[in-house]
Amino acid sequence: MHNPYEVIPGKIYDIIQESPLIRTLRINLEKPISFKTGQFIELSIPGIGEGPFTPSSSHYISETMDVTIMKTGFVTEYVHKAKVGDRVGIRGPFGSRYPLEKFECKDLLILGGGCGLAPLRSLFLTLLHDVEKYKSITFLAGAKTPQDCIYKDEVTNWRKYDNVKFLRAVDVVPDGEKWDEEVGVVTVLLKKAKINTAKNPAVVCGPPIMMKYGTMDLLKMGYKEENLYLSMEKKMYCGFGQCRHCVMGKYYACKDGPVFTYDQIKNEEAIWD
Amino acid sequence: MIVKVADFFTFLNRCFSEGVGKFDEIILPVKSSKENNNLHFASIKKGARFDFETVQLDTYRTIDPVKVLYYLSREKVLPAHYPPKRRLIIGVKSCDLRALEILDKAMINNEFVDQAYKHWRDNAIIISTDCLSITNTCHCTLTGGKPYSESGFDINLSKSFYNYHLTVGSQKGEELVEFMKKSITIEDDKPDILKNVANQRQEVIELLNKQNEEYFRSEDYSGLINSKLSKWETYSRECVGCGGCTNICPTCYCLILNDETKSEQFVKVRSYDSCQLNGYARVAGGGTPRPKMAERFRNRYMCKFSYMKSNFNTIGCTGCGRCTDVCPAKIDFRRTVSYLDK
Ligand SMILES: Cc1cc2nc3c(=O)[nH]c(=O)nc-3n(C[C@H](O)[C@H](O)[C@H](O)COP(=O)(O)OP(=O)(O)OC[C@H]3O[C@@H](n4cnc5c(N)ncnc54)[C@H](O)[C@@H]3O)c2cc1C
Ligand code: SF4
Ligand code: SF4
Repeated sequence: MHNPYEVIPGKIYDIIQESPLIRTLRINLEKPISFKTGQFIELSIPGIGEGPFTPSSSHYISETMDVTIMKTGFVTEYVHKAKVGDRVGIRGPFGSRYPLEKFECKDLLILGGGCGLAPLRSLFLTLLHDVEKYKSITFLAGAKTPQDCIYKDEVTNWRKYDNVKFLRAVDVVPDGEKWDEEVGVVTVLLKKAKINTAKNPAVVCGPPIMMKYGTMDLLKMGYKEENLYLSMEKKMYCGFGQCRHCVMGKYYACKDGPVFTYDQIKNEEAIWD
Repeated sequence: MIVKVADFFTFLNRCFSEGVGKFDEIILPVKSSKENNNLHFASIKKGARFDFETVQLDTYRTIDPVKVLYYLSREKVLPAHYPPKRRLIIGVKSCDLRALEILDKAMINNEFVDQAYKHWRDNAIIISTDCLSITNTCHCTLTGGKPYSESGFDINLSKSFYNYHLTVGSQKGEELVEFMKKSITIEDDKPDILKNVANQRQEVIELLNKQNEEYFRSEDYSGLINSKLSKWETYSRECVGCGGCTNICPTCYCLILNDETKSEQFVKVRSYDSCQLNGYARVAGGGTPRPKMAERFRNRYMCKFSYMKSNFNTIGCTGCGRCTDVCPAKIDFRRTVSYLDK
């Protein structure tokens, strides 16, 4: 009988300090974990606790896993103290995935900010694996300031594809920091990107406030509710529909989500909080 | 089948003193104290002497729900090794059996199996008993239940004067009856006993109906489900958010998971949580979908009458009344449901 609480141990083989508050742990897994992009895992720091995070690596890789984590509280503080060689544990994968088959031959929009870029990097890298299947991919990424931008080293690579556009915006540029891309909240990029909304899908992930206003803007632009894919962040313990913490009406964010269409959840209570 | 009450207790006695039936533990309802009429489940280990005077199999439900025997308040879920322990649980009431049906759906399903829960379920035999009296918060009949069980037990006992009318509900129950026959007499049914059992059952239903006359509720709880937050604010004003109601509820199973790893082997422990507590749904950064007490209060009712209905195709309240008994703010669950549903 399979134990849903089973932990697959792993060892950190590299740490990328993406920004002052965000780092990517690169983990060697003792047993491969196959997931589908959009799904999440529970990452444990032994003896401290665990939390839900999304792999930020491509789903074509299963022997190792990247997890990009923002320091926000108790467990993530220990994540930020971890060193190369430290043991971590992973449970999962859990939940729903991005429906890649629905993105084929379409103009896909990806909109994200802050640590919401973690699942979007996974999606993006997975899409790049067979990039020719998609008509175009427009990836709009936001951050507070230039130094809060993550995946800095990968940007040049991501801009090499003919049918891929990767645009960035920062809210503010503090004195002394250099920035020659867009300034403003990430949604200002929507105007710049010249997107064809009809029948096309869009994926949104980011802090609650960005999710809310991003979704509203996309609806105004003409995106259909059933074509908007949101990754919902709710409190979770188990990851598979036992603990009930993430219940949104009849849905569980963990097993029916985290990826929902706006159409599915728009009538549930307090989805943005 | 019919068994004499005295014979049944003789059998139980042998189970304790001589290890008959090879049960490691026998659990049954006993009076909690001389001062009040509360009952709780007591566990009797093999070989122990036991005072049968305090046992009350045939009255009403215990204070602690049978949940506490299957879904422990604290349990190690990884590694999942559990002691082999055969338990005989006697005196389980219909409201608690209905609650176990809900927990079964929640813990043992196509998506996952909670191994601890399944272990305790697999290794226990349940002898349920009819309620011959009620507590003043009991309202099973308002929630589609009855004060006696028709399924979910291995054996059910309906007391009729000095006899029990015995019904077998499963293979395990069948085997236990065969085993009992080796040391005590079990006879065929007698019409007068059956008739008396049916009459008693009807009497208790009438007691419940009378007690709960004023607590109106609709078939689909639509009034409650669609109530505005302002109405919930009115009815939750006294609630202190202690979470007593969810902890004692036989169908509540929200958990918190802790990592208690000390060496190489990862260790995960689950314990009860409560949606009434402020931090319950708080995510990193401080956001929470239900910051107000009234919203958390509403969540419990919505969970019982709407969410669980969607998830398990049955409402999540069995009408045991425990949440009313436990509430320090003296909030009567039945009354709140009926006010809100009007
Ligand atoms: C599906 C999903 C995917 C996510 N993906 C990512 C991601 O890729 N990257 C990322 O940075 N973030 C992600 N998050 C958010 C991430 O899960 C939280 O930031 C993280 O759990 C915060 O943990 P913390 O303990 O540091 O924060 P805290 O604010 O300290 O705690 C968060 C919650 O956990 C509780 N808690 C804290 N410590 C314990 C403990 N020891 N035992 C029990 N409960 C405790 C707190 O009460 C609080 O409710 C995701 C969330 C979800 C739901
Ligand atoms: S037991 Fe009463 S006071 Fe405590 S949370 Fe429940 S309703 Fe509120
Ligand atoms: S909600 Fe109250 S009355 Fe209903 S099953 Fe739970 S404790 Fe019993």
